[in-house]
Amino acid sequence: MSVVSEPSSAVPQMAAAAAAKRLPLARIGIWAVTLFLCLTPFLLVIAISFGQKIEGASWEWAFSFANYQRVFVGANWPEEFTALYLQKLYYSLYYAVIASVLAVITAFPFTYLMTGLSKRAQSAWLVFILSSLSLSEVFIVMGWDVLLSNRSGLPMVFKATGLTQWLKDVGWFETLRDWGLANPRDVKFKTSVFATVLTMAYLVWPYAVILLYPPLSRLDRSMTEAARTMGAGPWTVMRTVVLPAVRLPLMGSVLLLFVFLLGVYVAVTVFAEPAKQTMAVSVYEAVRGNTLNAPFGSAQAVILLLTAGLFLALGQWLTRRNAS
Amino acid sequence: MTSINRRTLLKTAGSVAGMAAASSVIGTPLIAQSRSLKIGSYGGYFEDSFKEYVYPAFTEATGIAVESVTQPNSTDWLVTMSQATAAGNVPADVSLYARDTMIKASRIGGLLAPLDLTKMPATSNLDGYFIFEDTTGAIGVGAMSWFTAMVINPNEVEAPASWAEFWDSSKFEASLGLSKNFNSQFLDIVAATFFEGAETFSTKDGIVALVEKAAEIKPNVALWWSAESQMEQSMKNGDVIGGQYYLDVANLMALDGFPIKPIFPKEGNPQDYGSWCLSAISEKADEAAEFMNFASDPATQALMSRMIGTAPLVDQSKTDLTDEEFAMVSGAPSIKPAYEAYLDNETFIKETWEKMLAGA
Repeated sequence: MSVVSEPSSAVPQMAAAAAAKRLPLARIGIWAVTLFLCLTPFLLVIAISFGQKIEGASWEWAFSFANYQRVFVGANWPEEFTALYLQKLYYSLYYAVIASVLAVITAFPFTYLMTGLSKRAQSAWLVFILSSLSLSEVFIVMGWDVLLSNRSGLPMVFKATGLTQWLKDVGWFETLRDWGLANPRDVKFKTSVFATVLTMAYLVWPYAVILLYPPLSRLDRSMTEAARTMGAGPWTVMRTVVLPAVRLPLMGSVLLLFVFLLGVYVAVTVFAEPAKQTMAVSVYEAVRGNTLNAPFGSAQAVILLLTAGLFLALGQWLTRRNAS
Repeated sequence: MTSINRRTLLKTAGSVAGMAAASSVIGTPLIAQSRSLKIGSYGGYFEDSFKEYVYPAFTEATGIAVESVTQPNSTDWLVTMSQATAAGNVPADVSLYARDTMIKASRIGGLLAPLDLTKMPATSNLDGYFIFEDTTGAIGVGAMSWFTAMVINPNEVEAPASWAEFWDSSKFEASLGLSKNFNSQFLDIVAATFFEGAETFSTKDGIVALVEKAAEIKPNVALWWSAESQMEQSMKNGDVIGGQYYLDVANLMALDGFPIKPIFPKEGNPQDYGSWCLSAISEKADEAAEFMNFASDPATQALMSRMIGTAPLVDQSKTDLTDEEFAMVSGAPSIKPAYEAYLDNETFIKETWEKMLAGA
C-alpha cells in the first residue's frame, strides 16, 4: 500500500493508517453478516436437533442424542429395531443418483448437437431452456400428474388404442399387475418409481443443459475434425476425443444435480408410494405435520446434510484422482 | 380441513349459494364501536365465509364488532399462540382449534382460559361431547364439525355395506385412496370395524393389532394421499374408485357431476370437530362468551351448515335444515376418534404406522 511506496510523506501515511483501521472493520462487518446469514440457519437446525419431544404436546430445548439414535434404530429401540429412516435415506440417494445421471446422459447429446448449430439457433435454444426454469416444481409435477392420469393421460391412450386389451390378451398385463403398474381395469403409472425418477430427471434437465453448455461450446471443434480426417468414426471421436475432454464438467454436473435432487419434495409425495418416500418428506412430516417434532426433523435434516457432504467429498476425490 | 384446495373447491361450488350476498368489507374492524372481539379461523374460503355470513349476524345481534384473524390451521396456530402468550400479547382472543390441538394446549397449560358456561345458555343445545373440560374447567365450546366419509365411484362399484369390504382384493385391488397421515382417522375406522373402537387404542398391543389389520389393506391402496387435492384429482380421473374423503366436498363434487358418492356404512364415518377457545391472557371474556353463545345457537349452526358446509353440533330437529341439506354435511353413525390415545402414544403410533406403510 501507500505506506511502502511513499515513506517520506506524512499525510498519506496517516490516511493509509486510517484506511487500514477502517478496512478491517468493514471486512469484519461483511464477514459477520455473511457468517450470520449462512450459518445461523444451520446452527439453529443443529441446536434444535438435540431437543426433546414432549409426548402429546410440543418440544423443548435439551441436549440429547435420542433423535439421532432414532434415525438409525427407531424410537422403540432396544425393544424393537427399525431401519425405517435409513430406508428413507436410501431412497433419497436412490432417486437422486438415478435421476441426475439420467438427466446428464440425455442432456449431453442434446447439448453437444446444440453447440454445433448456428449462434442464432444456439441462443434461441438457450433462451427457451432458461425460460423453462421458471416453471416451479409444483407446476411440473402437476403436468406429469395429468399426463400419467387414468382418464387424461397415458393409461387412456393405452385403453383407447387397444394396447391394454392386447396386453391382457398376450398375458403381459398380469406381469404389469405384479410390478404394480396396473390395476384390474387398466395400466397405471402412479404411484411408481418410474414416474418419480422420470419427473425428477425432467425437473433438472434444463440445469444439466445449462451446466454442460459452456464446456461443450468451448470444445475445440478442430480436434474432432482432425480425428475424423484421420479416419475415426463418429462414435470413436465421441469416445476418445469429446468425452475425455468434458469428463470433469460431466461429473460436476451429476454431483450438483444429485445434491439438488436430495431435497425434492413435491414429486416424491405425489409419485412415490409411502414405502418408497424420501428423507426430505420425512423431515417435513416431523416438523410440520401433526406431531410438531422439530428436533427429530432437524436430526434427519442434519443426517441428510452430512450424507450430501460425504457424497460431494467423494465426488471431489474421484474427480481429482481422475484428473491427475 | 386445512388445505387450500378444498377451500377453492368449496368456493367454486359454494358460490352458487350466494357469494354476492355480502361485501368483503364486513368483518374488518369498526373502530368507532366500543365493544370488539378478535376471532381466529382457518384462512381462505373458511374465514371468508365467516366474515361474510357469521360475523355480521353476530355484530347485528350483539353490537360487538369482530376483527377476523387468519389462522393457518390448528397445530401451527398453537405454536404462534403459545409464543404470543409468553410475550404477553396475543393476536386473537378466540381461536379455533381441532380437538387434538385443544387437548395439546390444555396439556401445555396456561394457554386457554376456563369458560363460564352459565353466560352461554345456548351451549346446552350441544351434545356434552362437544364441550371440552380439563382440570381448570370448560376450555372449549364446539364450533362446527366435519365427517371423513367412505367414498366410492358409483359407476365402477356397488356401495359397500361395511368398511370391511375395502379389504376385499377381488373388488378393490390397487384401487383405493386413503390418507397417509397416521392420525387422519383410518385407524379409528379399523378399530370400529374389526375391534372394540377407541378402547383398542388403550394398549400398545392394541395399537399394533390395529396397524397390522391396516397393513392387510395395502395391496388395495393405489394412493396414500397427503393433500386433499390428490384424492380429489384421483377420484375425478378414475385413478382410484374408492377411499376416505371429506363428506361435504364429496357431496359438492357429486353435485358437479363427478363420479363420487359418499356412503355411511354400518360402522359409520369418523367425525372430527373444531372448538372455540379463549386465550388465557385475553381481556374479552364477556364478549367471547356472547360469541360462543351465539355460535351455539341452532340457527347459527344451520347457517354454517348451509354456507360453509360444516356438520351442525346440534340435533337436526332443533334446526330448520331439510333432510337433503342435512345429508349434505352430516350422517350417522359417527365414529369418535381416540384423540387422547393419539397424543399419549404419539411417537409410538406414528412410527408403527409409518413402518407399516414402508414395509420396514
